[in-house]
Formats: sequence, C-alpha cells, structure tokens
Amino acid sequence: MAISAATKAATDALAVNRAPTSVNAQEVHRWLQSFTWDFDKNRTKYPTKYKMANDTKEQFKLIAKEYARMESVKDERQFGSLQDVLTRVDAGNKVHPKWNETMKVISNFLEVGEYNAIAATGMLWDSATAPEQKNGYLAQTLDEIRHTNQCGYVNYYFTKHGQDAAGHNDARRTRTIGPLWKGMKRVFSDGFISGDAVECSINLQLVGEACFTNPLIVAVTEWAAANGDEITPTVFLSIETDELRHMANGYQTVVSIANDEAASKYLNTDLNNAFWTQQKYFTPVLGMSFEYGSHFKVEPWVKTWNRWVYEDWGGIWIGRLGKYGVNSPASLRDAKKDAYWAHHDLFLIAYALWPTGFFRLTLPTTEEMEWFEENYPGWHAHYGVIYEEWRARGCEDPNSGFLPIMWFIENNHPIYIDRVSQVPFCPDLCKGASTLRVHEYNGKKNTFSDDWGERMWLSEPERYECQNMFEQYAGRELSEVIAELHGVRSDGKTLIAQPHTNKDGKMWTLDDIKALNCVFTDPVDAL
Amino acid sequence: MGIQIETGQRGLTDPVMQKVIADAVPDQPLESNRKMNYFVKPRGRRLSEYEILCCYTQPTPDWIPGGLDWGDWTQKFHGGRPSWGNETTEMHSTDWHKHRDPAKRWHAIYVKDKAEEWRYTQRFLKQFSSDGQIRTMDPVWRDEVLNDYLGAFCFNEYGLFNSHSSATRDCLGDTLRMSIAMIGLDKVDNAQMIQLERTFLAKLVPDFPESTDQPKKEWTEGAIYKGARETVEDIWQDTYDWNEILWAGHQVHDAIFGQFVRREFFLRLSSYYGDNLTPFFINQMQLYHSQTKGITGDMFFHCLGDDAEFGDYNRRLMRAWTDKWLPRTVNALKDFMGIFAKIPEIEHVTTKDAIETALNRVFDDWTEDYADKIGYKADKAAMIKTVLSGLKK
Repeated sequence: MAISAATKAATDALAVNRAPTSVNAQEVHRWLQSFTWDFDKNRTKYPTKYKMANDTKEQFKLIAKEYARMESVKDERQFGSLQDVLTRVDAGNKVHPKWNETMKVISNFLEVGEYNAIAATGMLWDSATAPEQKNGYLAQTLDEIRHTNQCGYVNYYFTKHGQDAAGHNDARRTRTIGPLWKGMKRVFSDGFISGDAVECSINLQLVGEACFTNPLIVAVTEWAAANGDEITPTVFLSIETDELRHMANGYQTVVSIANDEAASKYLNTDLNNAFWTQQKYFTPVLGMSFEYGSHFKVEPWVKTWNRWVYEDWGGIWIGRLGKYGVNSPASLRDAKKDAYWAHHDLFLIAYALWPTGFFRLTLPTTEEMEWFEENYPGWHAHYGVIYEEWRARGCEDPNSGFLPIMWFIENNHPIYIDRVSQVPFCPDLCKGASTLRVHEYNGKKNTFSDDWGERMWLSEPERYECQNMFEQYAGRELSEVIAELHGVRSDGKTLIAQPHTNKDGKMWTLDDIKALNCVFTDPVDAL
Repeated sequence: MGIQIETGQRGLTDPVMQKVIADAVPDQPLESNRKMNYFVKPRGRRLSEYEILCCYTQPTPDWIPGGLDWGDWTQKFHGGRPSWGNETTEMHSTDWHKHRDPAKRWHAIYVKDKAEEWRYTQRFLKQFSSDGQIRTMDPVWRDEVLNDYLGAFCFNEYGLFNSHSSATRDCLGDTLRMSIAMIGLDKVDNAQMIQLERTFLAKLVPDFPESTDQPKKEWTEGAIYKGARETVEDIWQDTYDWNEILWAGHQVHDAIFGQFVRREFFLRLSSYYGDNLTPFFINQMQLYHSQTKGITGDMFFHCLGDDAEFGDYNRRLMRAWTDKWLPRTVNALKDFMGIFAKIPEIEHVTTKDAIETALNRVFDDWTEDYADKIGYKADKAAMIKTVLSGLKK
C-alpha cells in the first residue's frame, strides 16, 4: 500500500468507534428487498394465473445464518432427548403395539408430504417476485428438508429401538403396495407440486399446513403420548414450531395476490378444490389411524376434526382472510359429514386389504366396539357386526383360509377407487356420503365417489388419469404382488403386514396367502 | 382401566397404562433387521445416517430411473404435464438416486455447521471492531472497491442463488434435491454476507454508505459486471434444464468467474490494502464453493459422467454445455478486468503480470477439476489473452 493511503486510513480511523460491535440478522434482512433487479427475462418458470405483488413482505425476517442457528438449537434439544433419555428408558419398547404400527404409516406418509414440499416451495421461491417473499419460501424449503429427515428419523428410531422394525425399516419401498398410497400422493405429493403455483401454495400452505397439520402433527402427539409413544411428540412438536412460518407463507401468498383481479375470479374455487382434495384423504385416514390404530383413545375424531378443521381453520383462519375476499370453502359442509363416518368406511376396506399393507392392523376389541358405539351411535349395527363375522371366520389366523376381501367378493360388495382422490370406497357399504359415478374417458371407465371430485375431473380429466392398484394388479395373484413389491420380513416368507397385533398370534406367510389363490380383478370391468 | 383416557394422561409415565402396554408388547422383537433402508446400496462400506434419512424419500415411479413406485402421477399440471419427468433434463441416468453429498450433510448437520459459522462471525466482528482493525484499511479500497464492487458482486451471488429454485423443484432425485437447496442457500448466504460486511463498515466508518443503491447501479448499468450480469440472468431465468443450470452456474461460471473474483481479486488483494475483514467473509464463501464443488462433482462426474449406460453421452452433453457457457464466462471475466483501473496500483500485485498469474491459477484449477474430467479441451492461453484484453491500462 502506498504510504499516503495508509496514513489517511490511520487518520480516518480516529473517527472510528472502537466499541465491540456486530451486525444482527435484522440489520441485514432490511436490505433484502433490494437484492433483485429488473431485466427482460425475469419471469417465473411456473406460470400462474395470479400476479404476485413485487413488494410483498414476509413476517419472519430470517437470513440464512440466523435460520441455521435457530434450527440448530431446536435440533440439539430434539436429538438430545431422543438419543439420551428416551433411549435410556427404552421408550421404543414402551409403545403400545397398535401405535407402533400406526407410526409406520403416519411418519412415513408425513415424510412424503414434507419431501414434496421441498419441491413445492422451490416452485414458489421461483414464482414469487418479491425477494422477501422468496426468502420466506426459501426458509420453508430448508424446513421441509428438516422435516423429511425428522420423519425419517422417527421410522429410523423405531427400527433401531422398537418392537417390530418391519415396515419402519423399509417404508419407502413397501408403502407403494397398498390402497392408501396413491391417495397419499394425490394430497401430499402431486397436489403440492403440479399445477398453478398459487394453487399449489393454497394446497400446501393454506390447507395442508394451516388446516391439516394441526390434527396431523399436533393432535397425533396426544394420541401418541396416550399410547406410550414419547418419540413422536419429541419430533413432531419440533416440526410444528416451523409450521407457523409456513402458515404465514400461505397467508402472504394470499396477501400478495389480493389486489390482482384474478383473485376475485379464481381464488375461492382454487381454495375449495384444495380443501376438498386434502380433506377427502386426510379426514378418513387420520380418523382411522387415531381411532383404529391406538389402544388408548383421546377423543372421538369427529370432535378433533370439528375443533381444528371446522372451527379453527374454516372459521378463524379463513375468517382472517375474509378481508382479501376469501370465503370458507363451499365443500366444508360436505366435509363435516365425512368427518363422522368416512374413517369407519375406510378402515373396513383397509382391513379387508390388509395383506397389501406395510403394517399390522387390528380388529376392534370388544371394549373398542363399545367405545365406537358410544361415540358413533349406529356403528355396531353397521360395522361391528361385520367385524364380528370376520373374527368368527378366523380372519386373524392363517390356518383359517379366510381373508376379509373374500367376504366382499362373496357378498358382491365391489370396492372402487375414486379416480381423482385415489381413495377406495365401497358404495354398497359406506355409511358416509360416497356414491358411485362412472365416466368414460379415452376408452377407460373412471369411478368417482363425490360431487366435488367429479367436478374437478369433468373440468380437467387430463390431470387425474393415474391408474389405481386394481388396474395395476389386475390378473395378478396376491402373494406374487406382495413378493414382487417386497412386502415380506427378513426371513423371506413372513408378511410385514398382519391382521392382528396379538403377541401370541400366528403370523401369516406368503405361502398362506398363495394357498388362497386370490387374484386381483378390476371391479370397473363389471360396470 | 378403560381405553378412554383423561386429558394429559401419558402411557409411558402412567403406571396403570404402561402395564396395559407392557402386557401387549411382544416378548421378543418381531423383526431382526434393525437397519433402516437396508435395501439401499451404500456409497461407502456401510449405510450412513445421511443415506438412511435421505435416500428414497423421492416417490418417483420406476419409469424415472431409480424410482421405487409404479404408475402415473395422481395429479398433473394443467394440460397434463407430469409432476416430475425425464424430459426436464437432457441428461440421462440409470439411477437418479445415486448422488451423495461427499460431506454426508442431512439437514441437522448442515445447519449445525452454518450456525457455528454465524456464532463465530458475531464473535469475530466484535473482536475486529474493538481491536480497531478498520484503521489499516485503504480508503479507496474501502469506499470504492468494497462498497461498489464487492457490493455489486452481491447481485451475482443473489442471481445464482435464484437459479436453484427451479432446479430444486424439477430435479429427479432426493439427495440431489436436498443438496441443490442447500447450495442455493449458501449462495444467498454469500449475498447476505456481502451486505452484512457493508452494514458493518457503515457502523465503523462515518458516512460509509450502507444502501444497496450504488452497488445495484454498478451491477445493472456498469461495465465491470456487464458480462457477468447477462450470464447470471440467463442461467437464472433463460435456462430450463435443471442440470444445465447447475452445470453453467457451478461448473463453468462460478468455477471461473466466481473463483477469480472471490479468490484472486478480493481475497488475494485485500491484505495489500490493509483489509483483514473481507477475507473473513470470502473464506466462508470459499468453503461453500468447495462443498458445492464436492456435491456437483459427485453428480456430474461420478453419477452422470460415469453412468454405465449413458456416461459417454452425458460427457458429450457437458462438453456441449461448456461450449455454450465458457465463452460467456470468459467474456464476463474480460469485463471484470476493468476493475483494475479503479484501484491504487501495486506493482506485481495488481499489474498485468500478477493478474495473468492469477488467471493461470484459475484456469489451471478449472482444467484439472472440471474440463479434464469430461475430456474438454480448452485453449487456456487464448482464453487468458481474451480476458486480459479487458484491462484498461
């Protein structure tokens, strides 16, 4: 350096404040909005019919390093609990077996949602024009990686420390076999990432997160704790601490388009479709998981649903968005009806198809049957008698030669799959509102179970043409499908799925299934 | 006891409930295989925790190579475009799930590292300010170079950061998706660190302008970053193939232009101008660069370049992409040479001989670390000659 410059620098330094000082995250964040610039090609790669405003702010003003600090602190707490005290008290083996099985599904399926939300928020980060709004979505992108890893960690923990690792240890491979998977993809995978970017934000943030993460991530911790599982609350409540920012992102999405003319035309329709899409799967699957996948009961699902979905979300949360022209979805009324019976309808089918699961299911005990009847009057006359018949025919025992799906066939109760939601339904037996509708398209018959999904199909059939498991497996023998899709334990013959969690009960094998010669047919062929 | 519990009752701690649970738990575990993701082929000798927590979280069907699912997408874009599809990239792979971050960073590991860097940054800044180290910084370097030109480089990093959004959305593998989001965050962290340094200088130096106005003007209207800006804009918004975005951004532009600007300009020269502050931040950026190099190198060279079926094709495509992006990067560097006319000259440091040596380092590194790995032949001397033609004196 030239001497003169050095001298000047030293002279300037006389005015320098030498008290220790630093820069906090907010002092950096306040410049974030100016980080972008205008150029001709500056547009999103994921077009939306809405226009997101250039000056949208975010509510949680994080920078990259502060984000990392915050999450790291939460991780220390969470992994400390898991690896230290919970392991020392052998927490994995103090969970009720029914709940151990339920967590095979819940944790893995939530992982799917979290994983797809990485891509979804990547799309939103691309679509937003305001740097602060991008920043909010970006933090969520990283959160979703965190949650994906956390959900995986729950299965990982149960694999290492639990009583039945099968299914926990390979859920990412075996989840694809059974009837719950494609519906899961519809709500938590493709629904988040395929479509108009704002529509995807509504699915993910305004409905998936603001509405269903409360029952999915919060209520589930109460059911878990009741059934001896402190692993899930340790992880899921840590996940939930991030969800608030995600709900705020959904709110900001609406704020960013509030002044756009397109919002007044399309927003409520997109919200209605998103709500129906999400509830169509989650209402029955969560209710079924809680009530049929537990021993100790917290409260009837219909009450949980009413509190979180109907009152908290449909009333308060959406009410706050009323000033932006957002209304509670028209389909909320129909969803409320589903909250009563739909999960009972679904369990009937899920149990009938138990060999295709990656978990063990249990028929309701006498005590549980009384609980169901008490909380859902009319339950026993409709469902209880069927379970009693199945149990009497020895459905839990591999020597019985009886699978409940055979009962459906014997009694001519075809199971169809709703093309739009991919949720199975049996119109003959459902006590919920599902009714059969059929539309032919591209030479193929498509079945539907409700008005709202049917309407989505009629508007855009090309979006929902995914084949279902009956079409995929038609003509294949059941044990062959299970073996091909790895639904067996490490001995190479015992099924991961079982129709009971009785510790003294005999486990079904591939040979037991093969002996029954169950061949898949597509019930649509008979229509 | 009954099955209906009272609010707050917990099965682990309530002795009556725990007795019911204990009676139901099998006497012996029902499954002996306690290794999650046992079906995954480990990169090393054993399956790592990173592989357990990340691999096969991607739910793609088997017609996207490596996928474990079957069938179609349950919901598509309007008009029927698939959720994810092989057509989103010209690259081919027999297994999109093969990639691994060499540092095995899943989220917790990644944020732990960055949190430590943040805490240390805070401590460093307090030490730097209380030690009065700002006194040695050359005012021209401080007020013009750091303010205008380091400030303008913020936009280079911010633009590249944004190029990761669609790659995060569209890529076809799980470990890839997580890696891409993380290296994207590192880029915005770079941009934020630059503004952080400028804010810090504004606290220490009266009248040092904290505003981004002048740097943005330099970035959008100035000559020094013109080539870089146009390249970044095209990587960010005019390139749709997610592999090409990553190739252009990390294997070409950042590996050459970014390395020269960060390492050979700001890092190398700062100490000559009494600046002990900028190297602290640039070295964090260099750490991220090196981690990113590991990630993208694994993907492009190990996974795609060495793919048993498509390796030759993929390397040919990488060479074609290099043909497309290398001249633009060289041109960006040529424009950047104008900066040497803005700084007080130091013989054999900022003069042509030193610049040429620095360029040789960058191009030699690039040749060894990138070009040689795909059999790309570049004329280093010609490139350096082109770049040096941008010197204004």
